[in-house]
Amino acid sequence: MNFKKQFKEGLLTKNPVTVQLLGMCSTLAITTSLFNGIGMGLSVLVILTCSNILISALRKVIPNQIRIAAYIVIIAGFVTIVDLLLKAFIPALSENLGVFIPLIVVNCIVLGRAEAFASKNTVLASAVDGITQGIGYTVALVIMCVIRELLGSGTFGGGLLNGGEGIRIIPAQFPAMQMVMPVGGFLVLGCVIAGSQWLMKHLEKTSKKKEAVK
Amino acid sequence: MKTESTVKFVLRLALTLFAITAVVAGCLAGVNAITEPRIAALNEEKTQAAIEAVLPGGGTLAGTWSDSTGFVSKVYESDTGYAVEVKPNGFDNTITMMVGVDKAGKVLGISVISHTETAGLGATCAAKTAAGEAFRDQFAGMSGQVAVTKDGGSVDAITGATITSRAVCAGVNAALECVANMG
Amino acid sequence: MAQMKYFYELTISSSPHAHSSVTTQTIMRDVLIALTPALIGSIYFFGFRALLVTLVSAAACVFFEWGYCRLMKKPVMVYDLSAVVTGVLLAFVCPVTIPYWTIILGDLFAIVLVKQLFGGLGQNFVNPALAGRAFMFSWPVLMNTWVKVGYENAAGLLSSADAVTAATPMAAMHQGVMPEAGVMDLLLGSVGGSLGETSALLLLIGFAYLLYRQVITARIPLAFIGTVAVLTFLFPQGNPRIDWMLCQVLGGGLMLGAVFMATDYVTSPVTKLGQIVFGVGCGVITVLIRYFGGYSEGVSYAILVMNACVVLLDKLGRPVKFGAPKKEAAKK
Repeated sequence: MNFKKQFKEGLLTKNPVTVQLLGMCSTLAITTSLFNGIGMGLSVLVILTCSNILISALRKVIPNQIRIAAYIVIIAGFVTIVDLLLKAFIPALSENLGVFIPLIVVNCIVLGRAEAFASKNTVLASAVDGITQGIGYTVALVIMCVIRELLGSGTFGGGLLNGGEGIRIIPAQFPAMQMVMPVGGFLVLGCVIAGSQWLMKHLEKTSKKKEAVK
Repeated sequence: MKTESTVKFVLRLALTLFAITAVVAGCLAGVNAITEPRIAALNEEKTQAAIEAVLPGGGTLAGTWSDSTGFVSKVYESDTGYAVEVKPNGFDNTITMMVGVDKAGKVLGISVISHTETAGLGATCAAKTAAGEAFRDQFAGMSGQVAVTKDGGSVDAITGATITSRAVCAGVNAALECVANMG
Repeated sequence: MAQMKYFYELTISSSPHAHSSVTTQTIMRDVLIALTPALIGSIYFFGFRALLVTLVSAAACVFFEWGYCRLMKKPVMVYDLSAVVTGVLLAFVCPVTIPYWTIILGDLFAIVLVKQLFGGLGQNFVNPALAGRAFMFSWPVLMNTWVKVGYENAAGLLSSADAVTAATPMAAMHQGVMPEAGVMDLLLGSVGGSLGETSALLLLIGFAYLLYRQVITARIPLAFIGTVAVLTFLFPQGNPRIDWMLCQVLGGGLMLGAVFMATDYVTSPVTKLGQIVFGVGCGVITVLIRYFGGYSEGVSYAILVMNACVVLLDKLGRPVKFGAPKKEAAKK
């Protein structure tokens, strides 16, 4: 088990959003303010980690033939728990994320990691995988939120800072509303993916250079 | 494992899945027991706040009401007037709004509870901006039938969102009619 | 060896080998010439602000094209005038009161995101000017402010706040009422609307010029306008039927879109059958949006939607290769 490698994979080289392209509907739909991005990211992180741990622990008990059904029941259980807790204790976030919290059940990241990782690895490795993939998802979401909120609403930290209004950076008449509409989601996602590809190539080059120096 | 009979195999599948489902259901029941009262209290609080916004002092749910439009979903009454929850059809989907009406049939105020109108255009009807406030405030004091200026009324429509403005007017009209029938 | 030497002296290149004097630059120049009558008309209807908006938009497009190519170290192609055409067309589909910063942002979107990021001229899959317009609906109020025509009401060059606003004939027809302006007003263009779209007559003069110069064929515009005419004649929402049809055909952005935007080489099909289906599709979607949509005008979205279908339409009506085996045989 290599925690550092897993962390790098989750954050960049196997990032669930920018490389695996999983969980696109929530990514495109809710990344309109910082509050939404952090809330959604952390919700998925918690659910993913819990379901990874449980599925990994039960991986030898669950027969292969019914594994998908079992995974879905476990994931749906955690999602419903998070949904109820959010409704009771952070109603503002629950209202903003709306249907996308219940939809985490079918978010490909959670089922994808259960099938691809947790069902084949130890509990500890699966827990780390849940956390690192969750962080990768959250970071990608937050980057998209910051860009879209700035260009589309002209603010930073909407829902969190300045009493929920966000700090105004661009005067109200100028921001391009389309950026917080679906079209802006696709545009920004494309740019973020391009940026992460560039970063990976850049890192690869520098690491090769280092080796050459050695 | 290879020697396991079919019956045993199927039973094992069923029992494993049943066990997992039962445990998950149990956990959910537990969480639900903790959160249910809180969620109910929050919802009640929200409704009361929406009523207070249009009917000073709040109100209690009325027993019966009549409604020919089908928009009215709830009526709250107090000594001074009524708060009517209406759901007219907006540009995208229904707009849920609360209309306060006094005993004389005059609009006290309106507030939009939830909607899915276009951001920047129809969404102005619920926005906490100057344009949104101005649009909602103009309903106060109106009575009888309201309509946007385009349809010969006196309500200034939201710029670029005539359909949303018409929907809000339809909601207010439904509330006024409902209150008139309350007598 | 003597033979080899002979070959070296030949210029060897891939087809086409037949050259003509037609270049992208001459085509774009003809398009600009064809747009001139409408531009002059818009200055007459809306004042000099119309000219300034058009010039600013064209200049911004050229600047963004030049800037992007320099930044990405690509050959600078601004002399082909295609950026100028995009800039002029984008200005033509905006209200005359549009602030300059808004149209410059629209130009940025059209040139950089829609055209250059997909590989430059010939690679974009939707019309840059129309995509720029769709993006400019980020500022819906600015894009929905229509002023009355007439010199005494001309919008100021710097501030357009003084101009009196009025609903367009399209808005009236969207409500299912005949517009106050008559068919003649719509033909000549003395009605409210986007900067360059109001005068059907002046746009038709441009159409005739493009046909004469063989820059475009009449197939797409005729299929497009014909479909709108037939559908509005069959399903009128106002009386009399003929007037309703004429108002629908002459009003709004139909002429501008059908002649200058749906015929864009890059984003329209190459086969004859494909072009006809493309035009009919544009017409059907336009009428659907005008009748049932949220906006009163649907030409630009109709063209954008059909642009996205071009890759499929190009498969229609392909000529069969001479002597090529039949499909069934090829499958085996």
